[in-house]
Amino acid sequence: MTPRPTADAALPYDPASRRHFFSRCAMGLGSIALASMLDRSRLHAAIAPGPLTDPMAPQSPHFAPRAKNIIYLFMAGGPSQLDLFDYKPRLISLNGQPIPESFIAGKRFAFMDSSHGTKLLGTRRSFAQYGQGGAWVSDLFPHTAGIINDISLVKSCAADLFNHAPAKLFMNTGSGQFGRPSMGSWITYGLGSEAQNLPGFVVLQSGPRGPRGGAVNWGPGFLPTTYQGVPFRGNGDPILNLANPEGISAHRQRQAIDAIRDLNLQQAVATGDAEIHTRIAAYEMASRMQSSAPELVDLSGESEATRKLYGVEQDTPSFARNCLLARRLVERGSRFVQLYHTNWDSHGGPGENLEIDFVARCREVDQAQAALVTDLKQRGLLKDTLVVWGGEFGRTPMGENRDTTGRNHHIDAFTMWFAGGGTQAGAVIGETDELGFNSITDRAHVHDIHATILHLLGLDHKKLTFRFQGRDFRLTDVHGRVIQKLLA
Amino acid sequence: MSAYRPSYFIFALGGAFIFAPTTRAKPVDFSREIQPILSDKCYPCHGPDAAARKSGLRLDRRIEAFAGGKSGLVAIAPGRPEESELIARIFSHDSEEVMPAADSNNPLTTAQKNLLRRWVAEGAAWGEHWAYVAPVRPIVPPVIESAGAVNPIDAFILTRLAAEHLTPSPAADRATLLRRVCFDLTGLPPTLRETEFFLHDPHPEAYARLVERLLASPHYGERWARPWLDAARYSDSNGYSGDAPRQMWKYRDWVVSALNQDLPYNEFVIEQLAGDLLPQPTLAQKIATGFNRNTQINQEGGIDPEQFRIEAVMDRVATFGSTFLGLTLNCAQCHDHKFDALPQKDYFRVYAFFNNTVDDGHGENIPGGRLSFASENGPADNLIADLAQVRADFTTFLAPSPADFPAWLAQTTPESRAKFSPSVANALALPWAKQTLNQRRALFLTFGGANAQFTALHEKLTELEKLEAKATTALVMVELPQPRESVVFIKGDFTRPGEQVTPGTPGILPPLSAPPSRPPNRLDLARWLFDPAHPLTARVMVNRIWQQYFGSGLVETENDYGSQGSPPTHPELLDWLATEFVAQNWSIKAIHRLIVTSATYQRASVARPDLALADPLNQLLARQNRLRLDAELVRDAALTASGLLVPKIGGPPVFPPQPDGVMNLGQNRRAWTASTGTDRHRRALYTHHWRATPHSAIAVFDAPDGFSACTRRLRSNTPLQALTLLNDLQFFEFAGALAARVHREGGDDDNARLDYAFRLCVARSPTAAERTRLLELLRELRTPTLGPVGEPAATLHEAWTTIARILLNLDETITRA
Repeated sequence: MTPRPTADAALPYDPASRRHFFSRCAMGLGSIALASMLDRSRLHAAIAPGPLTDPMAPQSPHFAPRAKNIIYLFMAGGPSQLDLFDYKPRLISLNGQPIPESFIAGKRFAFMDSSHGTKLLGTRRSFAQYGQGGAWVSDLFPHTAGIINDISLVKSCAADLFNHAPAKLFMNTGSGQFGRPSMGSWITYGLGSEAQNLPGFVVLQSGPRGPRGGAVNWGPGFLPTTYQGVPFRGNGDPILNLANPEGISAHRQRQAIDAIRDLNLQQAVATGDAEIHTRIAAYEMASRMQSSAPELVDLSGESEATRKLYGVEQDTPSFARNCLLARRLVERGSRFVQLYHTNWDSHGGPGENLEIDFVARCREVDQAQAALVTDLKQRGLLKDTLVVWGGEFGRTPMGENRDTTGRNHHIDAFTMWFAGGGTQAGAVIGETDELGFNSITDRAHVHDIHATILHLLGLDHKKLTFRFQGRDFRLTDVHGRVIQKLLA
Repeated sequence: MSAYRPSYFIFALGGAFIFAPTTRAKPVDFSREIQPILSDKCYPCHGPDAAARKSGLRLDRRIEAFAGGKSGLVAIAPGRPEESELIARIFSHDSEEVMPAADSNNPLTTAQKNLLRRWVAEGAAWGEHWAYVAPVRPIVPPVIESAGAVNPIDAFILTRLAAEHLTPSPAADRATLLRRVCFDLTGLPPTLRETEFFLHDPHPEAYARLVERLLASPHYGERWARPWLDAARYSDSNGYSGDAPRQMWKYRDWVVSALNQDLPYNEFVIEQLAGDLLPQPTLAQKIATGFNRNTQINQEGGIDPEQFRIEAVMDRVATFGSTFLGLTLNCAQCHDHKFDALPQKDYFRVYAFFNNTVDDGHGENIPGGRLSFASENGPADNLIADLAQVRADFTTFLAPSPADFPAWLAQTTPESRAKFSPSVANALALPWAKQTLNQRRALFLTFGGANAQFTALHEKLTELEKLEAKATTALVMVELPQPRESVVFIKGDFTRPGEQVTPGTPGILPPLSAPPSRPPNRLDLARWLFDPAHPLTARVMVNRIWQQYFGSGLVETENDYGSQGSPPTHPELLDWLATEFVAQNWSIKAIHRLIVTSATYQRASVARPDLALADPLNQLLARQNRLRLDAELVRDAALTASGLLVPKIGGPPVFPPQPDGVMNLGQNRRAWTASTGTDRHRRALYTHHWRATPHSAIAVFDAPDGFSACTRRLRSNTPLQALTLLNDLQFFEFAGALAARVHREGGDDDNARLDYAFRLCVARSPTAAERTRLLELLRELRTPTLGPVGEPAATLHEAWTTIARILLNLDETITRA
């Protein structure tokens, strides 16, 4: 994140900076045992620590990585796989029929006692097959159909929790319990970040509201706060407090930061506290962020062709703008960029209609997500950048008892897609039964997806651990296996 | 014994301690050296969890460990390592044989293997895990007073330092000490008046008197409420999806007030866990039970309320475990504990204590679970009773399905229904029997036509609801009259009920005593914590207090005293403090007084090269630690220096300004209308806490999220913190006010003003180098610059605002040294 400040060279004792390292990475952590952390093998099975002053310094992975960065397109609310990718002619022919009891006996669903429906709902979209793998894509995703040979669909995804906030927590942290680190926090803890002047873990938001649960979705859990996601604002300066206070010129700001540095250095000498050197480095990084973050969001340097490709209209906040920003972020070394696009919760009813609102959501994302993959590929970035697309769950094959067409939350089978970063191009993995209710091959549970993402980054999900409350925790808890078919 | 002594001589006389020499090699200590290894390396497969146990071998209990497993081989033969299968297996070079198994990714180090062999050779002495044995008051080691021991804390610390041939640091200078103890006891920097007074107070008891003044300050309660509220996962919103606001500040104020009154810790805890079950509970005792109502509430549509009611109960068990027992009870939620003898059934027996309350998991219809106050001081008894009565009447009136309900349905079409409000539209989708009172009300209002009885009830209820909406409320614990049945959930899954359980405490801890006439309840559980035989309660609390003063506890793993936790660095000191806590009738202030008057606390925090090598983590406390201020105190320090602080104690949460955009990140865009007037400048303790969208200046400095119990905060050091202090509009406001104050009060020349500004921020005058640097900057600022960055001269206020910003950004300003 930052080069060592020159002042560090004055540190006379390696143990001081070692203490310093622990004070940064460990002291104050829930119940991490410092003494045991001196035994580095326990800290991080095979990961050598980087420069001791910087917890975000790039770290070596466990083995050669296929991907360096991630762009995660999180479709908050749970898009309907049955109206986008998982084409089920049988479901259409059985439209309006009750679902056979064998499918739902003993199952629990959201809205169990009110609008939960038991009558099958065939899609009203038209589907066609695309690409070398013959993937089915509906008419709502024409641009995505156009990049089908660059992406792989996994139609057999499965999750555990069927209410939005707990399910988002689960998809992000691998647990429905609060207090666990999010995926981006795990990854930046494991790998640091190459970004010199920007945060390593960035969250971008589009749609009418934020994701349910808010901060917990990119929270560091029991990991140091350093690893929490930094949400960017859609308007104005992307990072909170990026601009100087009103009336303070860049020159004045520099004068202040220089004086703060000089006085802090005097304290560092007087107290011998290495933490002060970290603070000095943090101010320098902050100062660099002040110039690099506005440059990041200034899209005027992008060609007209690129802006058109994404469908970016001026500088209004949108999913398209965020996709372009995501590319710019990984270009500048950010490790994990997560985009939330909200309001996919298509139950039927006002604002949640599968006929109107869902269609609008699709239009909002289709062109830009395809453009992102295309643009990354054109620039040679796709091989190092894993793009992940999906919601916290999918939708039921049954319609709901609401006024207009909609589907309930469904965790047993839903579709996600992956591109780049060492994944196969153009594959279709996992099949569901004739109604699209359960997966019948290659079930890919959230833990498996997490294991695979870490694997692509060169991290063994069983070895990326952090000791808290006397236990070595993992993103995948005690589960997870790499989805081999997804690997290139 | 609590006299402040300028104890420079401690350092000088450091070599003169008299101690018994400890040269003979000590036998291996099972509890501190062996059990942690067995726990970490062996218990996962050979520990308390019966389901995970392999080869029938159990190494967490002496009798089984010495017997061995199914193989018939002896695992541990005391005195005969060569006959012990355990030793053979850990030294094995055969990848099939070696233990821990290669695929566990958890190998033993050579030192650990050798230690295990030595332990077996010495006779494999076994002992109970230290934390499950009640503390026995240790003898305070004799340390001659000239060595600088002010009280027994020092005797223990100095004895250990001498054993390691380390000398303690001298006392901190008086200004540093003043600032340290003011932050530690009140969370505020010293006032100028206090600084002047204390630095020149010649009285030998000057420091002790300062400590008494600070302990008596109402700000003491504010300062020490914060770590307690962290553990209580206090928040002003419901969390989960919608993160709706809630009123819990009455509970927050109760904590502040109870601490200020030095309510003994046993009463403090009993009232929070079970105040509602005390005989004739007072209003305050009921409010105290908010501790267990700080759980999140999931108001998302389509949930199964029972699932989230259970989540809240489980959160109570986890919080109870980490806050009072220092145990990871929650690790036994889905299976037997892997490392400690906590069977899953024990978990659910504790669960049963908390499973009997009225909250429903959806945040609705909680009779008695929410107190309403007509004013800030009195409960609106009439309002609550009236509401209950009218609701009951209304429910009766609307119970039978109206004859024309089918006709109401018939007159709507899917299209027309969409035009109704969502509540009416949703109600139309349900049979009458499944509708809530409010849904029936909404339907009746829309379709029912004129009906005098309905109108009367509706108007009355609406009026009362308006009163209730304006009232102050507080969530509290209330027992169901008929206890809920509790069962073990197989694999922790609430859809898989198993064996029925009764309320009870974990078998590894002392038994619970309850009247035989009834099943034990929460009150019995709360009182059990204070059973004289209880090994954990006092240790856990004194350790958390200690941690605030030194950055780390004597038991570093403050929420895990089990076999995976860190053994105490100073076991005798921990036990002495724990027994002293009891002897002082659980007075929390007595423990504070004891710690802050010790020489150990008062030592300089300056790093020392010799210590950096010998004790890099400063666990032996030859010196103090420099600690960055907690999030709230970063704000409070700047507010105080600027003179803007409004020191009002308590009341509803306030909304100090924060940048636009923070509130966009939750599901619902909640308004953040910045407080004006005095509420703009209150202590951060009072800032409204939204779980989904916490205030930016608090979250960035590692304030906990309020999702689960936090018993120790992180301390990070990041560029985003720098941006906050440099650019946040409120910190800039503080800088402007500080500049104005310096100008107003600080004298006529820049030298005097600079001196004044330094004393306000760091309680000392600037060094010559600091003075030179900043006076030079002042001159620069006041001179127009030429060239490409040309800028007119700053006005006097602008120039001093820059100086004020610099001071408020100093590491020293946000650090307690």
